[in-house]
Amino acid sequence: MINVFRKLPDAVLRLAVVVILLVAAVTTVLSLLPPELKRADLQKAAAVQAELLRPVKYAGVPACAECHEAQYTETKGGYHRNVSCETCHGAAKAHAESPIDIKPPAPRDRAFCPTCHAYNASRPRGFPQINPVMHNPMKACIACHQPHDPKPPTVPGECSACHGEIERTKVVSPHALLDCTTCHTTPESHKVSPRLVRPSKPSSRDFCAQCHGQDAAVEGPPKIEVATHGEKYVCWQCHYAHMPEVHHE
Amino acid sequence: MNHELLARLAELSKEVQGYIYPNEIEIHWSVLIVVYPYLTGLVAGAFILASLVKVFNVEEVQPTYRLSLLTALAFLLIAPLPLLLHLGHPERGYEVLITPNPTSAMAMFGFVYAWYLMAVLLLEVWFAYRKDLILYARQERGLMKWIHRLLALFSNDVSPAAVAFDHKAVKVITIIGIPSAFLLHGYVGFIFGSIKANPWWSSVLMPIVFLFSAIVSGIALVILLYMLITPFRGEPIDMKCLDKMASFLFYAVIVDFSLECLDFIHRLYESEESIKILSQLVMNKLIISLLVMQVLLGMIAPLGIMVSIKLLSLNEELRRLLYFISVLLIQLGIFSTRWNVVIGGQMFSKSLMGLTTYKMEIMGIEGLVTALALLIMPFFVLAVLIKLLPPWDTAPAGVAGERVAA
Repeated sequence: MINVFRKLPDAVLRLAVVVILLVAAVTTVLSLLPPELKRADLQKAAAVQAELLRPVKYAGVPACAECHEAQYTETKGGYHRNVSCETCHGAAKAHAESPIDIKPPAPRDRAFCPTCHAYNASRPRGFPQINPVMHNPMKACIACHQPHDPKPPTVPGECSACHGEIERTKVVSPHALLDCTTCHTTPESHKVSPRLVRPSKPSSRDFCAQCHGQDAAVEGPPKIEVATHGEKYVCWQCHYAHMPEVHHE
Repeated sequence: MNHELLARLAELSKEVQGYIYPNEIEIHWSVLIVVYPYLTGLVAGAFILASLVKVFNVEEVQPTYRLSLLTALAFLLIAPLPLLLHLGHPERGYEVLITPNPTSAMAMFGFVYAWYLMAVLLLEVWFAYRKDLILYARQERGLMKWIHRLLALFSNDVSPAAVAFDHKAVKVITIIGIPSAFLLHGYVGFIFGSIKANPWWSSVLMPIVFLFSAIVSGIALVILLYMLITPFRGEPIDMKCLDKMASFLFYAVIVDFSLECLDFIHRLYESEESIKILSQLVMNKLIISLLVMQVLLGMIAPLGIMVSIKLLSLNEELRRLLYFISVLLIQLGIFSTRWNVVIGGQMFSKSLMGLTTYKMEIMGIEGLVTALALLIMPFFVLAVLIKLLPPWDTAPAGVAGERVAA
């Protein structure tokens, strides 16, 4: 064995010593480190433990329902059924523990509801959104909407009550003067159950041709040869009807 | 939310075009992540240049062999710093070493880096310098003598057999080193190329494009250093060496340019749903850094200059001037390439419907000053390395007779 070492060049032996020293140093350091520093699973468990140690502030809907059954039942049947009590009333564990001494807040000012209901392009289409400046200015939201069952006091007359983005787009488009119902047949029940009952969409090329066909009686809109233009596509597959292209001739 | 951040976001929100997701307003991979692939690219490129001498026996570039090695080492030592600083808590950097995640492509950097630094570069530098270190130590007194002795690991054998073994070892290490250098920089491209959610990055060509741009920048850097250092030493520039390096640079630029064109044409031909936003990105946000700096100044101009050098028989002085301009332009171009990949890839929304803007901090851990400091630091490291391990083929005085021809 020693002979084998002797046959190795001097340089290799010296490097081997360095490598052995390095490996020994790393192994020693690693063996001296406590397991909490080396093992990712222990670190993850410690992180969970640290989270668990944080104080609990929320009581949860069942705790609210125990005493406020009427409000719970009312909320359960309305549009806010998926909104927890503490979303509006704040963390209420302290209140649940001493109901007389600590009262949770009940927000009544106009700034609160727009947190969810102010118009924002990134919100889902059809989600009730208003312009807080224009929508009954100076009036508290709860004057018309009961927050536990926030049915609008009147059935929305305008489509823009829910479809704000489309309305804002259409109003600056060549279709600004067309009512939504010109193209969409909307059953009354859509206003009550918007997701269950859907309005119709034009399904044939003939529909747009009423105004845009060569032989259409209406004057003004750009005209096309319906038989050849766009072949097999329905018009709105290429033209966005709420903002159709403007042709300057 | 803190007010400073809010004010910053409000300022940024004015720069947004179209629709972006809320978390996209701030660009998370900052200029430090631009500096990182730029530095590692220089390492890989400089090493490939060094390998030309040992593996491919290109004798003309021998005068820059050691300089290339030291350049690669100096830049490699600084290369992980941008990543470390970008983490925000550099003092926790050691944790990646004691709890490695073998399935993370990013964590692979630790392994690739350790392999390349320890097994390839340091070993090659040691074998390349071992005999000289011994000879230096014999001539010197005091601290330098001990530093050189320690660096030589106290070896004392300058017999022809030992020196021959050094040469053989250098050759073997270089052969292992070439795929390792490819791995080091190809891996950086792999990280970007494998992010399938980002159409600007997700491309199988990415590692190869990164690799060739690395070779281009590394060769250009060594040419630049050679042209700057040699006159300072009062030595004439070896034009044969310079011409040969420039030739290799020229070929590397052609390959790199072709690959980038291929990538571009491929994207246009594929014309996926992202093509619209990407064309807006290029024509709107990256027009200066991509079309002007990367393509026009960083590729086409140096290519034009180098073609004219090859076609016209220019005198040495003019050639030197033109080479100097070309390598500076190439550095600018490759830095822009890294910028366009890293920052460009974060400037458009994943919704493919909007663009945002990158506003660089000046001070701060991820700011311009830090980035500049990181770009300058390798040159200081190189200066120290050159002081300790002179890369010039000059024998220590009085022992010339002992030297064995390389």
